[in-house]
Amino acid sequence: MSMLEMRQVTKRYGHGPTEVNALRGVDLCVDPGELVAVMGPSGSGKSSLLTIAGSLEAPTSGEVFVGGADLLAMSRNETARLRRRSIGYVFQDFNLLAGLTAAENVALPLELDGTSVKVARRAAMLALGELGLDDKASRFPDQLSGGERQRVAVARAVVGDRRLLLADEPSGALDSENGEAVMRLVRAACSRGVAGVVVTHDAQLASWADRVIFLRDGRVADSTAAVPGPESLLTGGRPS
Amino acid sequence: MSVRHALLALLSDGPKFGLQLRQDFEARTGEVWPLNVGQVYTTLQRLERDGLVAGEDADDDLADGGPRKHFHITPAGEVELGHWLRTPPDLSSPPRDELVIKVLVAVQVAGVDVHEVIQVHRRYVVELMQQWTRLKADATTADEDLGFALAVDAELFRLDSVVRWLDAAEGRLRRRPVDVAAAPATPRTAAPLPMPAPRRRTGLRR
Amino acid sequence: MNGATTALPRSANGGRAARRALVRWSVRLFRREWRQQLLVLSLLTLAVAATIVGIAIGANATTTVQAELGSASHLLTIDGHASKLSEDLDAARAAFGTIEVISHQDVVVPGSVAPLDLRDQDPHGAFKHATLRLVSGRYPTGPDEAAVTDGAATALDVQVGVAVRTGDRTRQVVGVVENPLNLSDEFVLVPTGQATPAAHVSVLAHITDEQLTSFHTIDGTGLSVQSGGDVTSSQAAAIMLAISTVGMLFIGLLAVSGFTVMAQRRLRALGMLESIGATDRHVRLVMLANGAVVGLVSAIAGAALGLTAWLGFAPHLERILRHRVEHVNRFDLPWWALVATMALAFLTAVVAAWWPARSVSRVPVVAALSGRPPDPQPAHRSAAVGALLAGGGYLLLFFWRSTAPMLVAGILATTIGMLFLAPVAIRALAAIGGRAPVSIRLALRDLVRYQARSGAALGAITLAIGIAATIAVADSSMQATADAAAPNGNLRDTELVVYLGRESTAPIPDASATALATAQASAQQIVTAVGAASAITLQAAINPDAATLPPLGNQPGGRMPASLAKVKSIGNGTSVQIVSAIYVATPELLASAGLTADGLDPAADIVSPRDLNGLQLELGRRDPTVPKVQVYDLAAYTSEPTTMISTASMQRLNLQPITAGWLIRSDSALTSAQISAARRIAADAGLTIETRTTTGPNGALGTDSTTIGALIALAVLAMTVGLIRSETAGDLRTLTAAGASTRTRRWLVGATAGALGLLGAVLGILGAHLAVLAWNHGRLGSLAHTPIANLLMLIVGLPLVAMTAGWVLAGRQPPTIARAALT
Repeated sequence: MSMLEMRQVTKRYGHGPTEVNALRGVDLCVDPGELVAVMGPSGSGKSSLLTIAGSLEAPTSGEVFVGGADLLAMSRNETARLRRRSIGYVFQDFNLLAGLTAAENVALPLELDGTSVKVARRAAMLALGELGLDDKASRFPDQLSGGERQRVAVARAVVGDRRLLLADEPSGALDSENGEAVMRLVRAACSRGVAGVVVTHDAQLASWADRVIFLRDGRVADSTAAVPGPESLLTGGRPS
Repeated sequence: MSVRHALLALLSDGPKFGLQLRQDFEARTGEVWPLNVGQVYTTLQRLERDGLVAGEDADDDLADGGPRKHFHITPAGEVELGHWLRTPPDLSSPPRDELVIKVLVAVQVAGVDVHEVIQVHRRYVVELMQQWTRLKADATTADEDLGFALAVDAELFRLDSVVRWLDAAEGRLRRRPVDVAAAPATPRTAAPLPMPAPRRRTGLRR
Repeated sequence: MNGATTALPRSANGGRAARRALVRWSVRLFRREWRQQLLVLSLLTLAVAATIVGIAIGANATTTVQAELGSASHLLTIDGHASKLSEDLDAARAAFGTIEVISHQDVVVPGSVAPLDLRDQDPHGAFKHATLRLVSGRYPTGPDEAAVTDGAATALDVQVGVAVRTGDRTRQVVGVVENPLNLSDEFVLVPTGQATPAAHVSVLAHITDEQLTSFHTIDGTGLSVQSGGDVTSSQAAAIMLAISTVGMLFIGLLAVSGFTVMAQRRLRALGMLESIGATDRHVRLVMLANGAVVGLVSAIAGAALGLTAWLGFAPHLERILRHRVEHVNRFDLPWWALVATMALAFLTAVVAAWWPARSVSRVPVVAALSGRPPDPQPAHRSAAVGALLAGGGYLLLFFWRSTAPMLVAGILATTIGMLFLAPVAIRALAAIGGRAPVSIRLALRDLVRYQARSGAALGAITLAIGIAATIAVADSSMQATADAAAPNGNLRDTELVVYLGRESTAPIPDASATALATAQASAQQIVTAVGAASAITLQAAINPDAATLPPLGNQPGGRMPASLAKVKSIGNGTSVQIVSAIYVATPELLASAGLTADGLDPAADIVSPRDLNGLQLELGRRDPTVPKVQVYDLAAYTSEPTTMISTASMQRLNLQPITAGWLIRSDSALTSAQISAARRIAADAGLTIETRTTTGPNGALGTDSTTIGALIALAVLAMTVGLIRSETAGDLRTLTAAGASTRTRRWLVGATAGALGLLGAVLGILGAHLAVLAWNHGRLGSLAHTPIANLLMLIVGLPLVAMTAGWVLAGRQPPTIARAALT
């Protein structure tokens, strides 16, 4: 079963002369463990795709299923619970709440879901540890570098038992080294079975994905085939 | 020719045999650019002729009976290597890029959807990038793979620039008032008719 | 396999763990950002402090009854000449248990109309011990000793160690005393039992009304009962309630505008919170927790500040309140009211935070993440709600203002209604300013765009100005509509009357021409002493046929002047209660009242600013004469010689004029030094003077309140304009980048401040007039005397000052604004 399934999703903003068709019948399936990149120029509707997949916005028409559950049939509280438990978000910037330490930021979705402080903190420390940020756990966001902040954001997006990771230009504000570090984390999460969607206009970021979808004017224009074996690149093969 | 200077660089570490030089070269460049033995020896001969390296017969012979030559870099070679490292490559004249030519032709040929042509190339390039990235992702970050990582990055950035050019080209084409080749001049496009021509010329110069 | 399908049995909102996490974040945010909330915090703190000081003053200002009763509940005054005084006192003691008996005598002050009270109060009396305090010297002990208050010492011209003549006895002054609860209470103190014969006796007891009604022993004549207690304490409670309500409203409005700005600032963070799964309730909780923290901090800080201010400034208040505020009394505060104020402040801050919390939780997550403010509510809907609330509240005020809960509800409803109406007013102004230069247009449009906070700010400004304007309007209408009962007092504070007799209605001694000339010379001395220009001679009318009265006690004999009196038959005798002295309407006196002889009604016998029709002209004749009184328009003072008898009427009634005294008018209020100099001159010449004794309403109150209201409104303006403009710092940067000069920035801030000030002044003054109208039950006449100068000061001056201040201060951009956008 697909972790994320979008069927014929359309999204319109505004009315009359100011009407904008952000999405016009998009189909998208993302399986567990799969990382899909959505590429497109600005205005192609890729951010709308992500907010609709993440239950932050309702589509004008179409169907969205996360883990088999119909988003459109859910109340505001139920979608909020879905976001706490199943969906992790990473934004381009402004990912962390000032006033909470890195560990508290990571633990927040769990605490919002009713997990006790102790259990949530243990889970947060575990997630931070995997990202090599143990020593930064008690720092506040403004005491972290941009790359570290984004890594904490990824940790928060995957903490607990979250199965769908949505990222909107996750390394847009970072240099290529930090951007690569963030994408490695996303990749690692997917290899543990998380379904990932990365929205970007950057081909280098998109190339981390198993599948790249090209969005044009609110439609899926094209997508890449499955990645062939890397050996095909090296004429002589890799000597062992 | 960079193989020449790459060999000089390898010799600056210390004297080496020809075969050893080939292995080191491939290791340093991350096996991205394969090199055959003949090429190594031809290059070494030229370097010796130019006085940049000096070769001497080793004490032990190879199994096939040929003399096993031990190469080391001369002071003139070191000067040449230093000079080469600091001389920028010639980037001023554009290479004849086949992809650019194909897109330019697609614009001219009637009945061809240039966006589709661009997308085909873009998909191909992105797929290539995916493969390179997969290589990078699988590689461990150990020291011996540093050269490999640098080479892969170079390739990724090169391909990335191609994708960016395709994106920019598509944007530029999209902003064209109408498809000049396909549609007859409408009243709206009649007035700024001279405009597309200079734009295309600008595109050509790039 | 995934979280969505494995529904765990947890509550939809994450329960206690979620609440704890959010409150923790909120408190942490407050600790990080308290400087940004400093304006809100400090204004809330000030409001709480002001309310607390107000309550403390209110609690201490309502002690006038205490000053007379001490801790007793009832004061019975018995005529000292009562036939069986001692039996009555025994009976009272038997009926009431503990009683305190104080005998009083009148001590004539030479040269003054007003006598001094001599009392034999016991410094350790059962009930009134708190009303007596030794300032210096010692308490009198022997029959020839006395103590005086400082005022009495001045009046009698004595000091410690000097003999004082009281009635027929001479006593040595041994100490200075005072009534700490009423510093205006001037008296002579003698030891217990030394005030004989008593003119009247007061009996103090702590009893119930039932005990009093069952006590019949004292015969009805010459007994008056005064009770304290319940009435005053409920009044005090009502005053405190009103102060608290207005204070809290003010706090609430300030907090709403402050929290709205805060919610806007945190919009992105709250959006992100929602994106990681926070529900609407979680988002509201964050804002409410912030409100609670702000409320708590400002309640505690405000209480501390208010109490400190009260304790520090209490001595200065003594002069205003005319009673001592002792160290002990300073802590004698209605603690329940203070605690209630703090609790109310806390609650108000939470409720104020709820409003913006509600609207911010309704912002779509995507809009919140991009920091877009919620769309303004349609103005007409809020206008309808506002009109309904304001109208309903106004009706409550109009019809049920006497019941405290209705009063509070009325004030609340009216003010909240005004808050809802504010956006309409702002929109109207923006529509008017649609063609103004770009900076003014932009300022007005920002006010509309950020309607929630500008509306609340306007509400707070309106309230501040409204209170000030209400006081000014009410004060002036009170002055204007003072009725015949003349609560204005006896004389204006610029006037002094010199009498040949003891007082205005006492017998006038028959004076020879030389004696009259001497008296005239003394009057002229007084004119010089008080710095006046001249004296107007007052002539009384006498019945030439009536006998000359013999001297009585210290009162000289002479001719009884004609007066207006209420005459009642009691048994076979009559009781005569003199209401007003009358004077001959000489052209000089008529002119002093703004009248001319030609302007008088020929049919009228007497002209007066008071309606004295129906009273008898008391001439010492048997046949009653009820004169016709023409009432003219002048503020009435009981002793001012403004009631005059026409010369025609004099002839008809066969009356003769006789010089009775002089009216002296100064340009400014008389000082106490001038008054005592005048009194000394009068005493030496055997004359008597009368000056203003009480303090009534005066214009100063209106001006003071206008100034204070304007200052508060300016402070609120400064805060809100600062907040609004700091939120649009981005626009300002863009404008600057687009080549806008400092001038543009100045105009932008100036126009924002000026617009809010103007709207606040107009709405506040409108509200004030409606409030006064409601208070007077719709009598439009009560508004006829609007203090135009004060109101002009508010409606023109305030916006101008606000605009100028904004214009000047906007030149330098505070560094915080530059940093505001970085989060």
